[in-house]
Amino acid sequence: MFPLISLVLVTLLAGTAATFFSGARARWVALGTSVLFVLEVAFLFLSYSGWPGYNSSLVPGFAESESYAWISISWMHVNFTVGVDGISLVLILLTAILQIATVVYSWGEEKRPAAYFGLLLLTCLGCFGVFVALDVLLFFLFWEAVLVPMFFLIGFWGGPQRRYAALKFFVYTHVASIVMLVGLLALVFYSGATSFDFASIYAAARGLTPVAQTFLFLALFFGFGVKFPIVPFHTWLPDAHVEAPTGGSVLLAGLLLKLGGYGLTRWAVEVLPSGLHTTQPLLYFIAFLSIIWGSVLSLSQRDLKRLVAYSSINHMGIVLLAIALNSSLGLLAAVLLMFAHGIVSALLFMTAGSVHHTFGTRDIAGLGGITPRTPALSTMIMVGSLASLGLPALISFPAEFTALLATWNGLAYWVFIPLAILVVTAAFYLWMMQRILFGPPKGVPLDAHDVPWYEGVGMGLLVALTVLFGVLPGLLVNVIVSSPVKGFPGT
Amino acid sequence: MDVASFAGPFLPEILLLGAALLIYLLDVLGVRRNEIVGAIALSGTLLALLFVVADLGFAPLAGLATVPSGQVDALPTGTPLYAFTSLGFVFQGIFLLASFLVTLASMSRPSNERGAPIFYGLLTLATLGMLLVAIASDLIFLLLAIEVTSIATYLLVAYTRKDPRALEAAMKFYIIGALSTTISFFGASLLFGAYGTTNLYAIAAARGTVGFPVLVLLGYGFLIAGLAFKATLVPFHAWAVDVYDGSPTDVTSFLAGGSKKVGIFAFFLVFLAPILYVRTAASGTPFTTGTVALGPVLQLTLSAVAVLTMTLGNILALLQKEMKRMLAYSSISQAGYMLIGIAVGTAPALAGATLQIFAHVFMKGAAFLVVAGVAGLGIGPLIADYKGLGTRKPLIGVSFGLMLLSLAGVPLTIGFVSKFVLFSAAVQAQGYFVWLAVAGLLNSALSVFYYARVLKVMFFDEPAAQPAASGAVLGASEPVLLAAGGLGYGRAAAIALATIVIVVAGVYPQPILGAIQSAAQHFVNVGA
Repeated sequence: MFPLISLVLVTLLAGTAATFFSGARARWVALGTSVLFVLEVAFLFLSYSGWPGYNSSLVPGFAESESYAWISISWMHVNFTVGVDGISLVLILLTAILQIATVVYSWGEEKRPAAYFGLLLLTCLGCFGVFVALDVLLFFLFWEAVLVPMFFLIGFWGGPQRRYAALKFFVYTHVASIVMLVGLLALVFYSGATSFDFASIYAAARGLTPVAQTFLFLALFFGFGVKFPIVPFHTWLPDAHVEAPTGGSVLLAGLLLKLGGYGLTRWAVEVLPSGLHTTQPLLYFIAFLSIIWGSVLSLSQRDLKRLVAYSSINHMGIVLLAIALNSSLGLLAAVLLMFAHGIVSALLFMTAGSVHHTFGTRDIAGLGGITPRTPALSTMIMVGSLASLGLPALISFPAEFTALLATWNGLAYWVFIPLAILVVTAAFYLWMMQRILFGPPKGVPLDAHDVPWYEGVGMGLLVALTVLFGVLPGLLVNVIVSSPVKGFPGT
Repeated sequence: MDVASFAGPFLPEILLLGAALLIYLLDVLGVRRNEIVGAIALSGTLLALLFVVADLGFAPLAGLATVPSGQVDALPTGTPLYAFTSLGFVFQGIFLLASFLVTLASMSRPSNERGAPIFYGLLTLATLGMLLVAIASDLIFLLLAIEVTSIATYLLVAYTRKDPRALEAAMKFYIIGALSTTISFFGASLLFGAYGTTNLYAIAAARGTVGFPVLVLLGYGFLIAGLAFKATLVPFHAWAVDVYDGSPTDVTSFLAGGSKKVGIFAFFLVFLAPILYVRTAASGTPFTTGTVALGPVLQLTLSAVAVLTMTLGNILALLQKEMKRMLAYSSISQAGYMLIGIAVGTAPALAGATLQIFAHVFMKGAAFLVVAGVAGLGIGPLIADYKGLGTRKPLIGVSFGLMLLSLAGVPLTIGFVSKFVLFSAAVQAQGYFVWLAVAGLLNSALSVFYYARVLKVMFFDEPAAQPAASGAVLGASEPVLLAAGGLGYGRAAAIALATIVIVVAGVYPQPILGAIQSAAQHFVNVGA
């Protein structure tokens, strides 16, 4: 079979390396790489053979998978195994979209552009790798490959408190990934899996006792949860977002948070069903806590970026709830939500960045009536906010609707918690829009211009997709439900 | 051609001895030029390495093996002083590589430098002692072989005879070394009292028949203390930093990359037998004192020492302002990782630790070689003095950066692979060893900070003003020295070689890891 996934990896690797060394032309190289990436992903998406009834892969249930021996000694068999199913494919699509949108949006970056664009691409490369890796070592390699460039993006291009924020981000997520790694290694060795491959771990883990599964699940849940982020390990997120440059924030919210959700579904929920079963109440509790906490704190934020950051905690709480439901509808909702949140939060962080560039502040109370001066930017803010609060025909609506439906199926009247919180979410977005967009002008310099073309194009792309997938969510749903996960029609 | 039949099993050792004697003979005859003396040492080391690699069973060199393959990894008859194991050959290779790198780098020193014969002669003799350690199968032979290495390295530290700091370091090294030797021999004598033999195989076979378990416990306790000095383990580490700091930096490279590992391998030799019975209880009677089994006690002790060594080394490294002291503390913490191998005591763990030791030659040994080289370019001892090195000398900066990343365990370097294998092995052993892996991983995370700080200084900080007269420091009359980025060809080649190994073995570790794993497996099989 044609090694399409390896080809994408090679493209990204070569493009990233070339970007680092191309000096002033870095943005063009980055754009070229992103265009190639999008084309390849589109091809991967269209040629995806994972529809019901397929059987063409090395790893059972994974389409387009490739495997090459890497390290092979008597007790450790590590392979370079990559593959996709519907879930990873949707997230890969998200990676490609956000990469090109971020590169275009950041076109005007003047501070060491080669390093900046190189690190952006490296982050996306790491995320792509995480979504395709089907081997513990490979997965961990890519997982860590995301961490380092983001650390530098925050620490070098960030705001006034960037050093503190970068360090906090690094410590939180690195400690979490250590716990995750030990959890994965323990999973391999305690289950007696014959190799580090996902398939063999998946098969061997069935033999683990429920107690062992619970402990392993908790270790993995902690490891993935910090990336989510779950309350009470969420405090790195607002700091990192506020200090990060806009491009960094976009990838952080759009992609990095998805790694936690993806990792949890792929490596914990699917592999350790008994572990999920016993820890389900804890997961519900943390999910509700994150939903409520993120939403309530959003209400009290003055900084536009911080507001979006806390709303991310709220949205990822819903993702955790959907995953914890352990139903096929819940899983579908979780993946849809991750995709939707990826697009919408990226859009919102871009608008927050543009507000900052244009008006020199992100203070909600210090701004008002910007619409006449910057109609395009205001439109973007409005679309992003409305999408985030779940307006029908925009991308979040089908996702949230599915999540609530799944919650009703699984937990009955508990669904009123996320429902009530949706009202709060709507409230803080509407209130923010009312203060910033409308009313008499406040804090608007007379020479304020609307966003530059590249920022407009970057955001416009996301706006278009918000509407497209809001109207046609089936494009995604059909792919997701073809994954080899229990309950989906493909299995 | 069959080397084994006419040269005997000690050909590598004889080659080194011959090189050292030739160097001293030429010294008497007045031939002291650095290149000539260095070339003799280098060729002796390389030839010895060739035969050791052949002994390891590397197929294309099969005819050069000095030990018939039947004698390798075989349970010896009687109580010989030495035995050939493939893990021993791996370690011989590692020691020779460490010596090779230092010799190669030293070749680019001024050709009229004083003390060249002393330096190369002692380096070769120290390596000879290390080769003997790797084949020891008797406690007395082992400790004497360590002593050969130690005496050569005491002198090596002070070979310039001028620098008062080096003299102080040598004195400290000598006193502590003599003390640790005494302690080790005392431990060995206690074990002799308990078992009536100092042969390690005989001790392994006699376990369970001992009437004086307290003697055994004390004997192993003293041996831990004595060998811990050599391997720079906490709480016997304090000398190492002063000695590493005070020595000429090329010597430091040899101490950290080479001779220290002798202590770790001695741990492998001495403690494998008492620990192993835990895993093969069916095949032998356990060591016990009353109801307490000896193996678990030793494992717990060694685990605690490993965790302490890693943590303290890393924390102190974080606080250092001088490059050599920072690297010295990091070297201590690395010894803690290596000790995990024997504390866990399974073949995978030994393989992981051995790979870590192999990696350490190219990361830490070569890092000291860079430090020695850039000192010749007018860069001071402080970490802050490395400001802008990455932009002024990109190749040196990138090589040094890769060594530091490898020490930190960043993926796609050999340092990552070795730690991954080692910690996987700890998890595989289950029980509390999982926490050993957690401790090791947390320590790796901690260590990232001080390595990253150097990277930041090298690549992100604005360069200081160009040092005015770096040519004067080098001796501008030496055209060779000014070549290869100011490092000289030999040193540049050594650094390039180390960098290549770090990256290539980091991406594709299979050949080296496969050899080490099978050697470790044989080692454990014979030991049990």
